[in-house]
Formats: sequence, C-alpha cells, structure tokens
Amino acid sequence: MNGVPVLSVRDVSRHYASGDSIVRALDGVSFDIHSGEVVGILGPSGSGKSTLLLIAGLLDPPSTGEIFIRGRCVSSASADIESLRDFRRNNIGFVFQKANLIPFLTAVENVALSLEIDDIPARDARFYAEHLLESVDLSHRIDNLPTRLSGGEQQRVAVARALANDPALILADEPTAALDSVRGRQVIGLFRRIADSQQAAVAVVTHDPRVLDLFDRTIELRDGRIVAETSVLTERNNSLQNATFPQDHSQ
Amino acid sequence: MNLGLKDVRHNFGRFIMTAAGVAFLATASIGMIGLYRGIVADALLVIDRIGADLWVVQGGRSGPFSETSAIASDMDRRVEGVEGVATVRRFVQISQQFEHNGKSRRASLTGLDFPRDKGAWVPLTAGRHLNNGHFEAIADRSIGLMLGEKVRLGLDEFTIVGLTQGMVDIGGDGLFFVTVNDAAAIAKRRTSEEVLLARSAFGRSGQASLPGSSVAQDSKIAAVLVTLNPAANPDLVRRAIMDWGDANVLSRAEQHSLLLDQRLWRLRIQILSFTAVLMVVMAIVISLIIYMLTMEKRHQIAMLKLIGARNRVIIGMIAEQAYLIGAGGLALGLALANVIFPYFPRRVVIDPGDVALLGLAMAVICGFASLLGISRALKVRAQEVLS
Repeated sequence: MNGVPVLSVRDVSRHYASGDSIVRALDGVSFDIHSGEVVGILGPSGSGKSTLLLIAGLLDPPSTGEIFIRGRCVSSASADIESLRDFRRNNIGFVFQKANLIPFLTAVENVALSLEIDDIPARDARFYAEHLLESVDLSHRIDNLPTRLSGGEQQRVAVARALANDPALILADEPTAALDSVRGRQVIGLFRRIADSQQAAVAVVTHDPRVLDLFDRTIELRDGRIVAETSVLTERNNSLQNATFPQDHSQ
Repeated sequence: MNLGLKDVRHNFGRFIMTAAGVAFLATASIGMIGLYRGIVADALLVIDRIGADLWVVQGGRSGPFSETSAIASDMDRRVEGVEGVATVRRFVQISQQFEHNGKSRRASLTGLDFPRDKGAWVPLTAGRHLNNGHFEAIADRSIGLMLGEKVRLGLDEFTIVGLTQGMVDIGGDGLFFVTVNDAAAIAKRRTSEEVLLARSAFGRSGQASLPGSSVAQDSKIAAVLVTLNPAANPDLVRRAIMDWGDANVLSRAEQHSLLLDQRLWRLRIQILSFTAVLMVVMAIVISLIIYMLTMEKRHQIAMLKLIGARNRVIIGMIAEQAYLIGAGGLALGLALANVIFPYFPRRVVIDPGDVALLGLAMAVICGFASLLGISRALKVRAQEVLS
C-alpha cells in the first residue's frame, strides 16, 4: 500500500489495574490500515480486539502509544476523549454487533440524525439519508421503525448511518455475529464495496470464520499482542465487485 | 431533529400516564390555591356587592365580619343626619340553623333594609327581588330551597321569591335575604320557658306599670351602611360619627384588610404551606421520572455520543421531555380541575394569574428535575454502547 495510512496504531498498550495486579489488555500493538482496505481483526475472547477497537475509535485513550488518523496524531495517553467527539463524528463510522438504532426514529431518521448532528439542514440530511439507504437496498423501508425491520435490515441501516458523514475509517465490532451466514457475508461485502467506492479504510473485529475470505488482510491478536498478520489471497475481489448487494443470495 | 418530541410521540401512552400523575399533583395545587381564593371571594362578596362607602359598627369593634357588632336599631337615623351622608341602610347577618322538609339546613340570614334596599344588588338566577316588607325571602341555591317554597323561621313562614347562585358567607353557608325587621324578629325568637322566666323576673322587679313587652326586647343591628354624597369628604364623615364615642367607622378597604390580613391570615398561611409541600412532592416526582427516563436511555445516549452528538443535543432531549411532561401535566391538571371543582361543596376559584404562577413554578421544577437527568446523561460514556 502507498501513501499515508488512514489508521496508524503505533506501539499501543492498554493496562488496567485489577486488584494488586495489572491486566495488559493490549501490549505494544502496531499496524496500519490504508484507504480501500478491509482488514479483519481476529482473536479469541479476551485477546484485546474490542479494547483495540475502542482505542482506535477514540473512545478510550491508550496507556502508552499513539493513534494516527490520516497522518495526524489524535490520541495518546494524555488525550481528552470528550474533546475528540467532533473529530470522531467527521472521521470515523461505527458498526456493532447490535445495530443500536434509536428506537423512536425511523430508518431514514436514524441515518439523517448523524448528518443533522453535523449541522446539515434537515431536508438535505433526509435526502442524503434516503440515498444512503437506497445504496444498501433499503429504499422500501425508509419510514419503518427499527422494530419493523429484520436483524439484517437493522444492521444495514447501521452501516448507512456509519457512512453518513463520509468517514475515512469504519470500525466494526462483530457486525455479523447476530446474522446468518448469508446476511453476514452480505454485510462484509457491503464493507468491501464501501472501501472500493469511497476509498474508506475498514477494520472489522470478528471471529466469524465464514467471512474471513472477504478481507484483504487479517490481524490476529492473542493476549493483547499481534501474533499473526496475513494477506488473504483473493480471487473473490472480482466476484464481489460484480455482485449486487445485499439481496443477491447467490453469494 | 426534535428527539424529545419524537420519543414522546413514540411512547405516547407512557407519556400520557406520566403526565396524568403530574396532572393530579397540579390539580391538587390548583385546588388548594382555588379553595383559598374561593374563601376570600365568599368573604368579600357582601362587602363588595352591597355598595356601601362606610360601615358604621359598634364602637371599639371591627365590624360584623371580624367580630360581634351590635348597635342600636335606630342608629341609622343618627347617621343619616351627618353632613355628607346620602343614604343609610341597616345591616344584620345571623347564622341560622333550621329544619325544612325533615332536613337540617344552615343559612346566613342577611337583612335588607326594605323598602330602601329591596336587594337590587343581589344577582338572581330565578324569581324576583323583595316586594313586601314581610315574609318574603331570597335564598341561595346552596341552602336547598326551591322558588315558591315556604320555610318556617322563628314564628313565621317565609316564601322564597328569588334564588341566587354562589352567594355564601365566609363559612360557606348560603345567604338567606329577608327584611331587616324580619331578621330581627327571627333573632328575637324565644322559647316558652324563656318568656315565662322573663315575665316572672319582670313581676319581681316591680316594673309592671312600664309600657311594652314584659320580655326584654334586645333590638340590635350589626351595622349601618353609609353611601356618601359624591362631594363628601369621607374623613370628615368618619370623624363626625366617631366623635359620638359609641360607634366605629370602617371603609370598604379596611373591611378587606381586616378579613384578609387578620381573620383569614392563618388560613392563607396554612393553604400556602400545603401548596409548598405539594410543590416539593411534585419536584421529587418529576425529578424521579426524568431520572428514570434518562437511565432507560443510557444506551441511546451512549450511541448519540458515539456518533458525535454534542452535549446540547442530549441536554435538549432531556430538558424538552421534562418540560413536555410538566406542560402536559399542567394542561391535564387544569382540565381536570375545571371538570371536578364545580362539584365541590365550597367555591374553588381558578384564577388565570394563579395558574400562570403555578406554570412558572412547574417550569422551575422541570428545569431542576431535568438537571438531575442531564447530570446523569453527561456521565454516560460513548463506549457504554458496547455494554
């Protein structure tokens, strides 16, 4: 990969005090993710995946080390996380295992909210939100409340919401865990398409083996350290680019 | 995007139930204040409507609405002779309990100085004012008498010729208007035993040769109502009457002041204290509601923070809900008060000024209540969305 990485994690550690002992949730982790890349972060429970996601997402400061986004150091041990809220809004999109949609807002309102928070006028925000929902094949569901959507549809709304501010980095934590294999692959395929079309960098924390072949790279963590970094050989890129997401079950 | 309003619309049933709880507290507050206003209105009713510039009452006393006042029944003739006095009327008011159709009833017997005062100042809902000097009466509906009915008071029967609505005294007893002479006759009613004892005492005292009744005739009235000439100086009239030594003179404003600042003072403090307690209860209830609503929304608040919502978005959502609950509670409470208070036995006055003040107090309470929720919401961390 060439150019400045979108996300650069440099020698990041995260230590927690637990009684008299220190728990090393992350211990000297370093890696880069470039634009257009979809990277899987793997590892067993307790390996530090979610801690890494929190730190990379500027939701928690590292104990040591630094986080660079587009070459700019944005977080370190002394970072004030609250003050990074505006930066986070404009640069990072989040998707989680649960869609975490606001239950009293419709699908389109959930997406438009991210834009209105960024001071986009309501009418423009709704128009763009409709466009985003259309891009994830939910144009027929825009006025439905989350309770009227299936798990897969909710997750696609969450993806559309994550894309609303056109972020350079998308962080996803177990986005396929609550979905069946077909829907799970559709969601990762959607990330693939976003990375290709918007040149976003996507990091997906997962231990779902059904989707590993869809990543460009995987980073494997164990006991807070990177134990393996693997490039996935992909003929599948071609097939994904030709696919129509997410209703094409033939994938 | 108005998050507070959207949440309310989404959970409208719960909002209505919550607002209904606050509404009952608002209704109770409106009722407390309204009851006090009603007692004041009842107390001032006769003073304000009867249209007297000055009240001549027993010397050294504060008039019939504050304490007992008894002056000679011919005091009106003395007062009439004072320069500057246009007209005078005698006034008497006596609480009366009597039986009618097998039921015990209470009324405040109020004398009209017929024929100078036929009760034209008394607003009627049915019938007419007094036309005869005896045995006619105007009754308030709260006494439970009907037009044309005959009721026995003292030794005589009175025909109800007119009906009023909401004319009661400070104790809530309906006013029963008769002529001053009839009122005096009713007040002078004696039992047979009293008459016999009086005659016996009269015989022993050796006064049998004196003219008139053998029974003491204690003919007193409560006050003389004075209407002044337009050019008269009230202070000069007052000074002239007070120089007699046996009479006191009160203006309408003084009567108001005596009632509100002395006779009703304790009641006012009592009711205001109860209202304050209700306000505190309301503040606690609304605070708890908003706090619980905030706790329920922790995950959503974390999500809002995660997607970069500024604090003012979250503060706005919580404060807006607090104010919607307060406004909904006040509106429902006011509607409820208007529906139920007319059926209460005492007058409950719903004064727009009082409702506005209550609204202001509730706005302060909602602001305070939302602070509690807001302080909790601001402590929510974005990463809680993962919990």
